[in-house]
Amino acid sequence: MTTRFNLTMQLSMAIVLALLFQVSPLQARIDGITGTNFTLSVKTGRVFTPDGGSILLWGYADGAGPAQYPGPTLIVNEGDTITITLNNALTVAGANPAPNVSILFPGQRAEASTTDPGVPGILTSEAVPGGSVTYTFIADHPGTYLYYSGTDPALQVEMGLMGAIIVRPSSGAGFAYNHPDTAFDREYLFLLSEMDPRIHEAIEFDGPQSTAVGPYLANPFPVVWFINGRNAPDTLDIPNLPVLPNQPYNSAPMMHPGERVLLRVIGGGRDLHPFHHHGNHSRIIARDGRLLASSPGAGPDLSHEVFTIKSVPGETVDAIFEWTGKGLGWDIYGTPADGPQFVHTCVDGNGDDFDDTTHEYCPDHDKPIPVVLPDNLDLAFGGFYSGSPFLGTLGSLPPGEGGLNPHGGFAYMWHSHTEKELTNFDIFPGGLMTMLIIVPQGASIP
Amino acid sequence: MATGYHRIIMKIVLTGSLFFLGSSSVHAGVLVQCPGDADGSATWTGAEVQPAHTKCMHLGAGDGFVTMADGKLQYVFGFSDLTGIAANTPTGTAEILEAGTTAAGFPAPLIVLDEGDEFYLTLTNIGMSMRPDLFDPHTVHFHGFPQAASIFDGVPDASISINMGSSLTYYFKLNNPGTYMYHCHVEAAEHMQMGMLGSLYVRAAQNGTVFNYNGKDFNKFAYNDGDGSTGYDLEYPIQIGSFDSAFHDANLAVQPLPFATMFDNYSMLNGRGYPDTVNPNPLPPPAENGGKLSQIESTLITASPGESVLLRISNLNVTRMNTLATLGIPMRVIGKDAKQLRGPDGKNLYYKTNSITVGGGESYDVILDIPAGASGKTYFLYTTQLHYLSNDAEQFGGMMTEIRIN
Repeated sequence: MTTRFNLTMQLSMAIVLALLFQVSPLQARIDGITGTNFTLSVKTGRVFTPDGGSILLWGYADGAGPAQYPGPTLIVNEGDTITITLNNALTVAGANPAPNVSILFPGQRAEASTTDPGVPGILTSEAVPGGSVTYTFIADHPGTYLYYSGTDPALQVEMGLMGAIIVRPSSGAGFAYNHPDTAFDREYLFLLSEMDPRIHEAIEFDGPQSTAVGPYLANPFPVVWFINGRNAPDTLDIPNLPVLPNQPYNSAPMMHPGERVLLRVIGGGRDLHPFHHHGNHSRIIARDGRLLASSPGAGPDLSHEVFTIKSVPGETVDAIFEWTGKGLGWDIYGTPADGPQFVHTCVDGNGDDFDDTTHEYCPDHDKPIPVVLPDNLDLAFGGFYSGSPFLGTLGSLPPGEGGLNPHGGFAYMWHSHTEKELTNFDIFPGGLMTMLIIVPQGASIP
Repeated sequence: MATGYHRIIMKIVLTGSLFFLGSSSVHAGVLVQCPGDADGSATWTGAEVQPAHTKCMHLGAGDGFVTMADGKLQYVFGFSDLTGIAANTPTGTAEILEAGTTAAGFPAPLIVLDEGDEFYLTLTNIGMSMRPDLFDPHTVHFHGFPQAASIFDGVPDASISINMGSSLTYYFKLNNPGTYMYHCHVEAAEHMQMGMLGSLYVRAAQNGTVFNYNGKDFNKFAYNDGDGSTGYDLEYPIQIGSFDSAFHDANLAVQPLPFATMFDNYSMLNGRGYPDTVNPNPLPPPAENGGKLSQIESTLITASPGESVLLRISNLNVTRMNTLATLGIPMRVIGKDAKQLRGPDGKNLYYKTNSITVGGGESYDVILDIPAGASGKTYFLYTTQLHYLSNDAEQFGGMMTEIRIN
C-alpha cells in the first residue's frame, strides 16, 4: 500500500518536518556572519558528543557570544577590505598562564594592523592573554577558505581554533566564482575535523603545563569525528540548538531533482578524510579558492568528476553535485500499474529529455520498477525510508519504523569512507556522517 | 555451526508460515529474480533464454574464515557466490543455505559487467553460523553508481536491508563504464572491517571497435574515449584492504567490538598479503569453514613486453588511506572514481606518476605500458607506507605484489 503525496499530506508533513527539525529559514544558505569588520574572541566551551562525552573546547567566539566549534563562518564579498580583531579571553587550569592566540588566513595576504599589532609570533602576530591583535586583508579571490590558529597550531587547532571563510564573487551570491559554470541553486559547507579527547582532558586538568600533552600530540589517536563541529546524528539536528551551545552549525543537505548544489568541503583537522557522497558523482571545480581553469576566463575546464572527495588537511574543495535519477531504467515516480495515484505526465517542452518542471527523465517515464520488493516481514528499515521506492511517496511501514522522511524523499548517506570514523568513541553509528535528502519538486526545502 | 544452520531453517519455516497465513503478497524466503531464468539459478540453462543485455548474479551474505599470509586464521563476514544453484526446486533452499553457510570469501566475488547491461543482483542473507546471537540484516551498496535510486543503494538507514533467510533483488541499469566497488553498508564500520567488500567494474561500450593509439591498435578500453587513449590489453582488479585481527578475534569470541582502538595489522591486496598475493591459485581452504575456498583471487600480474596493463584499483580499507607505487614502470593515470580523467570540454587530465594515494571509497584506473625490452623481468606494485609491508609481526609481506613479464 502506498499513498501518493497530496496537498493535505504535504501540509501535514511540512508541519511534522517543522516539528522534527524545527527548521530555520537559514538552512539552505550556509550559516555564518557577514560584513567587513569582525571581532572574534578566544574562549573556552564544551563540545558535546552523542556518546555522552563533553570535551573542553578552545573556540573562536563572535564577539561577546559563546565559543564556537568551528569558529564563526565569515561570509564576505570579493574586493572588500576585511578587518578582524582577535581578543584573547582564554582561561586555563594550572599555574602556567594562558597561551597567546592568533589567526592564520591561508590564501589571503593578511597582515597585522599598525594600530593593534599584537606581539610577534613564529607564524603570525599574536594576542597575549587579555590582549588583542587586529588583522586586515583584501578578499581579492572568491572561494572557500579556512582560518585557524597560527600559535602552537598542533595543539590549538586540536583544541578547536579553526573556522571557514567564504568569499562571494562579484558575479553574485548564486555563483561560486566569476564564471557561469559555477552557478548553483544551493550550497552547503562540510568542514571536516577530528579530536583526540586525551589531549583535551590533559589541558582541562593541568593546563598548558601538562606533560601528557606532548606525547599525545606527537602520536594523536582521534576517536570522534566531526562535520561542521558536530558528530552524527547531531549533524542532522537544527542549527543553534540550545543543548549544543558551542556547536551552532548543522549539516543537513536537501535538494530537488535537477538542482545544482555547491559543496564546500574543507579539511579542518590534521587527518585526511575520503568524503563519499552517495547518489551521484560531483564535479570538482576548485581547490583552495582557485578555479580549476587552464587560463583566466576559461571556466572550470580542468574540472573532473568524483564519487569520493579526498579531503586533505588545510585544503578546500568546491564541487557541484546534481541528481535527477537519469537512466535508472524505471519511473521513480511510479506507474499507473502501481496505482491510480501514480498517474502523471512527463512534459519535455525544451527537448532536454527531462520534464520541464519535475526534472523527471522522460525516456524512463512509465517504465515499471523491474523487480518485486520483498515483503515487509523480510526487511529491516531505516529511519529515512519512506516506505516506498518511489520519490514523493509514503508507504506503510511497521510501527516504529521510518518517520524521518516526511516528504517521501530519497535519502543518501554522505560520510567519511574511512568507516571507522562513523563512530563516536566506540559507538556506531555516528561521527563524520550526514544524510542528503532529495525531495520532489513542490516539497519545500527550508 | 549446526546451531546456526538450524536456526536459519527455523527462520525459513517461520517466515514461510507467515506467508501462508496470508500476511504478505510476496514470497518470503530465498527468491531469485532474473528475467528468463525459471529455476532460480540466476543463470540460463536448457530451454531458458538469456534476454539481450541482461546479467544476473546471486550472492549470499554470511560468515567464514580466511588465512592471513603468516598463517593466522581470521574470522570474517562476507559474500559468497551462489549463482548456478537452482532455488526453485524442492531442495533448492536447503542447497543454497548449505552452499552459503560459512562460505564467505575475501574479497567478495568479483563482479564484471558491460555498459548497457541490466543487472539483477539477488542477495540472500544466509546468517552468521559462528555468531548465532546475531540477527544482522545485510545489503549490497554498489559504490559509486551514478544517479542512484535510494531503494537500491544499500544504505540501511536510507532504505531497506534483507533479513536472514530471505532475498532481496537489486536492479542496476549500467549506463556508465568504470571501476566501482561494492560492500555491505549495514553497520558499515563493523561489516566492512569484517570483510564484506569486493571489486566491481563495468566495461566500456566502445570495446570491440579498434582505435590506434601511440602506434598500437586497441579493441579494449577503460572508457569511451573516442581516441584509444584508455586502450589496454590486460586488466587486473586490485582491491586495497586491511584487517585488524583483534577486532575479528573479538567478534568471533562474542566480545565487545573495539571500534575506537581499531588499528589494522594486516595490509592486503585482493584479500591476501605478500607472498600469498603472487600465488596464482586459490589459497587452500581453512578446515574451519568446511573446506570451502574463501580466497580465490590472485594478484599476480603477468604481461608480455609491449602490452598495456589496466589496473583497476579500489580501496575499501576502513581505517586509513594507502599509497601504492610501482617500481620500474610509471603509472599512467587515466581515470578516477569511474570517470575518465577528462575535462568538460575534452581536455585530457591524464598524468604519469610512480605512486597514487587512494582513500577508502576511491578508485583509480592506471595503465602500465610494459617496455619492449622487459622480457623476463619482474616489477613490483607495493605500498610506500613501508610499515604496511608486513603480515602483522612478520616482516616483508603485506601490501605488495609482482608484475612478471613473460
